[in-house]
Amino acid sequence: MTTEATFIPLDAIRKPPPPDPANAPTEDVREKLFELEDAGELIVQRVPEPYVEVTTKYGRTKKIPEQMTWHHKSCGQCGHIPGYSTSIFWLNRQFGMNYVDPMDQTSCTAWNYYASATSNALAQAAVASRNFAAAHATGYYPLIHCGTSYGHYKETRAELVHHAELRRKVRDIMEKLDKPLVVPEEIVHYSEWIHAMRDRIAERQVRDFLGITASIHPACHYYKLVTEDAIYDPDIYGGQRTATVTGTVMALGATVGDYSTFFDCCGFGFRHILVQRDFSRSFATQRKIEIMKEEANPDVVITHDTGCVTTLDKSQFAVKAHQRNVGIPVMSDAQFAALAMGAHPYRVVQLHWHATDYTALLEKMGIDWEAAWAEFEADLKRLESGEIEYLSWEDADA
Amino acid sequence: MSVTAPPMTFTADPGATLAPCSYTEVPYADKLSLWEEVKADDRFPDYLYGCYECGICVASCPSAKYYDFSPRKIAQAAAREDVELIYEQMNDDVWNCSQCFSCNRCPRENSPGGLITLLREVSVKHGLAAAREALEGYGRVVYKIMTTGTQISPDMLQPDAFPDWGPDVKKTSDNLDLWRRALPPETLHTTEMSWQVSDETLIELYLIWLHSDVMDMIEEADEGLHMIILDVMEETLEDAGYEV
Amino acid sequence: MHSDRVVVVGAGPAGLEAARLAAELGSPVTLIEKKDVAGGMPIHADYAALTHHFRDATGAMAEMIDAVTSNSLVDIRTGTEITAVNGSAGEFSVTVSSDGSSHDIDAGAVILATGFQHFDPGRETQQYQYYEYPDVITIADAEKMLKDENFVTPSTGRAPERVAFVQCVGSRDRQIGNEYCSKVCCGISSKQAIEIRRMVPDARVFIFYIDMRMYGYWENEIYWPAQEEHKVNYVKGIITEILSKDGRLVVRGEDTTMGRPMEVAMDMVILAVGMEPSQGTRAMAETLGLPTNKYGFIDTDQNVLDTVTTTVPGVYVAGAATGPADLDDSIASAGAAAAKAVSMLRSAAVPV
Repeated sequence: MTTEATFIPLDAIRKPPPPDPANAPTEDVREKLFELEDAGELIVQRVPEPYVEVTTKYGRTKKIPEQMTWHHKSCGQCGHIPGYSTSIFWLNRQFGMNYVDPMDQTSCTAWNYYASATSNALAQAAVASRNFAAAHATGYYPLIHCGTSYGHYKETRAELVHHAELRRKVRDIMEKLDKPLVVPEEIVHYSEWIHAMRDRIAERQVRDFLGITASIHPACHYYKLVTEDAIYDPDIYGGQRTATVTGTVMALGATVGDYSTFFDCCGFGFRHILVQRDFSRSFATQRKIEIMKEEANPDVVITHDTGCVTTLDKSQFAVKAHQRNVGIPVMSDAQFAALAMGAHPYRVVQLHWHATDYTALLEKMGIDWEAAWAEFEADLKRLESGEIEYLSWEDADA
Repeated sequence: MSVTAPPMTFTADPGATLAPCSYTEVPYADKLSLWEEVKADDRFPDYLYGCYECGICVASCPSAKYYDFSPRKIAQAAAREDVELIYEQMNDDVWNCSQCFSCNRCPRENSPGGLITLLREVSVKHGLAAAREALEGYGRVVYKIMTTGTQISPDMLQPDAFPDWGPDVKKTSDNLDLWRRALPPETLHTTEMSWQVSDETLIELYLIWLHSDVMDMIEEADEGLHMIILDVMEETLEDAGYEV
Repeated sequence: MHSDRVVVVGAGPAGLEAARLAAELGSPVTLIEKKDVAGGMPIHADYAALTHHFRDATGAMAEMIDAVTSNSLVDIRTGTEITAVNGSAGEFSVTVSSDGSSHDIDAGAVILATGFQHFDPGRETQQYQYYEYPDVITIADAEKMLKDENFVTPSTGRAPERVAFVQCVGSRDRQIGNEYCSKVCCGISSKQAIEIRRMVPDARVFIFYIDMRMYGYWENEIYWPAQEEHKVNYVKGIITEILSKDGRLVVRGEDTTMGRPMEVAMDMVILAVGMEPSQGTRAMAETLGLPTNKYGFIDTDQNVLDTVTTTVPGVYVAGAATGPADLDDSIASAGAAAAKAVSMLRSAAVPV
């Protein structure tokens, strides 16, 4: 046996062949939707033009609408980390995208469903259908803000396609609400919109992210539910991991800090995060944050789901008392992209709602956060005095 | 008359079990009917094929790392139709699942997480003690989602509810109304809901709950909660001219 | 025009044996091989030792090739492909092309022995990251290293301390769509494990499996010696994730015997990739209008007592073109195909 080194440079011998959609091992559920539409069973809302085409796991193309979007908001996001939602809207506004922020929208209610099971397949499908019908009536196309809503709606779509009885019952309920049964052509997550827009976002980048290392946490419900419907790109991870979020971070010039528990859940747990938080806290810190810190030492964790931001951000405080190696700020790709484009860290990104200290990160981005906070405090004073009733979009960009 | 636990036998009789059983005070017939209900769900055939015990589900499961919990055992018990073991799992294990669906990696296309969803639904529907216990302390969330169409509203961010999240929770709750008004998106100017949901939307939501048997499930899980929710729904619907 | 020539497509083990036997029985044979060199997968994928007798692959294939080249009845054409087949049993016209030019050959029977290709681990739905980490390799990559007698961790060039095999990659999987078992990988991995332990005595070798398929004599010739003499560790619980940590690989699975999740460090991971129909098998199926099963392998005539006859009279199939096959299978079915082909030609040629 020889002892000389035989280095095998990976690129030289291995390039993954791009997946051929003709060989996809799964059916294309969109074809089934169109068949059901032809049979008069439901209406398929088409993705409006202009749209961007991206590729999913088996090489199929997916349409991502640029605008005319109906923003299907996330309850936990709007409730506890509203800078996340604000950033999504802000990005749309920066590009002049025509969108709707509806009041005629309920939560997908999947957080409750997964946590407490005080619901059933029919109710869940009816809630989804009600939201889809509401969007369809406005002519705007649903853009889903939450990873769980996205995964849950992908599952609901499959259930509606494969179970005629469920379809019939949902249609009956929709009839009582004087609504048609509508399913969108694609279920689109906002992070897919950001992925599709990432180069355009990078063109308008005003803050330099060159020295910033970001560890990526992909949301379980984004890519583990209905696995074929998630963005994969042969140029990102060799097409072996979902490209969403990572593509955005790379486009913004930050370094991706890889770590050995990439595929682990954040530990959110749906009911655990509320009533059994020792599990979520232990998992988030021991399996994610500490590993990231040890292996990649990132400046920030970027993810794309409400639950993930919540768990990873909020779990770090209590464990500091046990001298655990934590302390990485956490935010969404929307907030990260907004900061890149010059958004105000408090008026838009609303970082004061986050728990883990983000000030070092902002300094690295060249942001004078103390001055920014002073500006925001001045806004708060104006709100308190009644000079203004609400902070407006104009105020946010002042 | 209760059926005593059969001895460990190796027969094809579904009444036999390969494991020592607990909950011997519950009649076997009751346990069996719960299992039949799980199997009768339309989604059941999508969630269970065969299992060759590869362990991929356990390897990827976050709960398996912190609890004595195994999605593989959930799938195995279901595949073997080991009613005694399934009943035990419905009472002891299913609430440990964190519903991440990493177990959907299964090469046979089983979904232990999906099976657990069905097991949980059936146990809530029948008011099993474990379900009631698991939902204790969750009542306010169920109330919020059922009545306002959103959950985890801003006003739920209270320091007594989240003491371990740090002193920022108190800062947030102290400034809640002000900070909510400092949000540019107009629909976010509320503290009781995650965003402002229109009244018509809520009415549609209530009608969905009423027409999909969800209220019956809630009644089994928590009678008091059921009453408050029903009151809110009935009042709103009657005001809008609906007969409940 | 009636011909008693047998055209054999593919000069791997099955094709070589079919050609040899047909010629031994007195038929003229044309052996067509797409690649420039005969020998099939054992030669093109640089196999080291064959499962289960541990016989050197190059030597074994040289013997098989020699049996054919030394028989004047066999005309071997390498670097040649079949582009069309017309006619019927006893009177085929086979169009072959090579170096840009083509011509027709008259044949009475055709035996397909176009074999398999290895599953591409980039299509795996578990997280094996074959295209990200140089130290994650396949059993085909490992064969080459064993043949070169240079079994080292690719990224460092040093002898590995811990090597893991992951079984059933691309097989027995409903998500990927290859629900079948590829038959040979358990034996191959165990054989390679023994070879690695001989070559790198300080290495600990693990095999992570769902089931160990060691049928017949593989059990006592390979499996038991692997465990008992060579101390290979068999763990029931397949790996689901491979990531990189502290310059090594970390693999995650469940130790189902102990009933708990496990994650351990490895220097190298060898993926036991399964068999899929080769490009040649798919092409010939189309050219000849042969039905294939849902996996793309050629369907035989559904008669369980006949493993080599296809639905097209005069066309036979041998080896891994019909599905996962080991060397014994391939050689046995090649003999059956040759015998049936020659027998058909002889009975057709009997004057009325």
